[in-house]
Amino acid sequence: MRLVWVELCKLLRLPSARAGVALGLLCAPAIAAVSAPSERSAAVDVAFLELMFGVIGAILLGVVAVSSEYRDDGEEAASTRQIVASLTAVPSRMRFLAAKAVALALTVGTTALLATAIMLTLLAGTGENLGPGVVGRGVGLIVYWVLTALIAYGMTLLTRNGIVPLVVLLLNSSVVSFTYLLSRVVPAANYFPDLAGPHMFLRDSPSGVEIGPVTGGLVMLGWTIAFLAVGAYRFQRSDA
Amino acid sequence: MRQGLIRLHCGVIEIENVSKRRGRVTVLDGVSFVARPGRVTGFIGPNGAGKSSTLRILLGLDHAQEGRALVDGSPFTALRRPLTCVGAVLDGSGAHRSRTGRAHLRWVAASNGLSRRRVEEVIELAGLESAAGKHVRGYSLGMGRRLGLAAALLGDPGVLVLDEPFNGLDAGGVRWVRDLVRTRARAGGTVLLSSHLMSELAEIVDDVVVISGGRIAARGTLDDVTGGHGSLEDAYFALTSS
Repeated sequence: MRLVWVELCKLLRLPSARAGVALGLLCAPAIAAVSAPSERSAAVDVAFLELMFGVIGAILLGVVAVSSEYRDDGEEAASTRQIVASLTAVPSRMRFLAAKAVALALTVGTTALLATAIMLTLLAGTGENLGPGVVGRGVGLIVYWVLTALIAYGMTLLTRNGIVPLVVLLLNSSVVSFTYLLSRVVPAANYFPDLAGPHMFLRDSPSGVEIGPVTGGLVMLGWTIAFLAVGAYRFQRSDA
Repeated sequence: MRQGLIRLHCGVIEIENVSKRRGRVTVLDGVSFVARPGRVTGFIGPNGAGKSSTLRILLGLDHAQEGRALVDGSPFTALRRPLTCVGAVLDGSGAHRSRTGRAHLRWVAASNGLSRRRVEEVIELAGLESAAGKHVRGYSLGMGRRLGLAAALLGDPGVLVLDEPFNGLDAGGVRWVRDLVRTRARAGGTVLLSSHLMSELAEIVDDVVVISGGRIAARGTLDDVTGGHGSLEDAYFALTSS
């Protein structure tokens, strides 16, 4: 518990991590504010689609949690790689990684909960019917954000540098979705984590392939475990 | 003094037959030595001789292919609150540029269950009172060194491991580190420090370990190693050039 608290303090004092929280909170309301109301979809479905994009905040947090440990400002700088301080204070690498993962999940989960609450409260304020199962969809969205952050975390444990995972994950979830394009050609690509996961809270699937919310969540969980396992293996085995 | 007793029990560093390769390059080849409580052990050698690699293996940061490095008979990675046993400064402060010095010390302290009061004490000890509230990106190299030492002293450890502690320090800083090292050893602590500068070490070390090309070239008391060479500096060049 002590180590989780330490990792929370370390993470939330970083400006880039605070930007991740802000992005997560503000992304969906900002998109909602600039886009015209849709005639064809129910307002609550649109809200969940907008909330999906807030996941970029979760990605940023997942990447920064690791890349901040390896930041090197060169020989003349007083700041040096934090991983040395981290592992001399907490030499058990698995305890360190686990505490960091829990701190990340708590931060992202809380951010997702607040973002969802804000959007749904705004929506309810306009007299919109949120429909049945809205709580389950909200939980699904929170799980989606947390698992995405953990995938980014595992990926950055492999690369150490934040740039590659940031570019790949942010582009894919905002500008051009490579996985989505691939899924138009290869149906199995629908089981990529970023396509399977949203079935936890989106009602009509953009790809047309039907995956149930629980199945989507389990598929994404499998991916997350795989990324974490590979990242942790690399972290445990290699020199810091 | 209970704490004095604990110190004596937390002190012996043993490096046993440690070998490390990176790819095809042999970085360390059967390195063995002991650093004992109550003594300052100087670990000297040219740049790239394997000093930092040895210290990184001691602290569990790097893995050795062979041999082991122990603190009081157990690997550093097995310690639950390592800061109370071993204080270390390797390549700088280990602080992220966006943190203040105080914030850095606070998380390090919290990770080992040490108090915020202790954080203020080491800030004073390291002469960082005016810098502690500022971001580390604004620190000079010397202030970064002081911050690293402050973190190493948080747990009042019996063992200090310092890699090139004089790099980047001004005259006042060099003197502070020398006094610190001598005081800790006199109080029963173990100090292992590496340097490639002989002049800084001759006056403060009791024991010397000379490393060259990943192998131990000499080890013993200062007199043992310098015997027949005139000075530590002469001994160093004679031992490391061969």
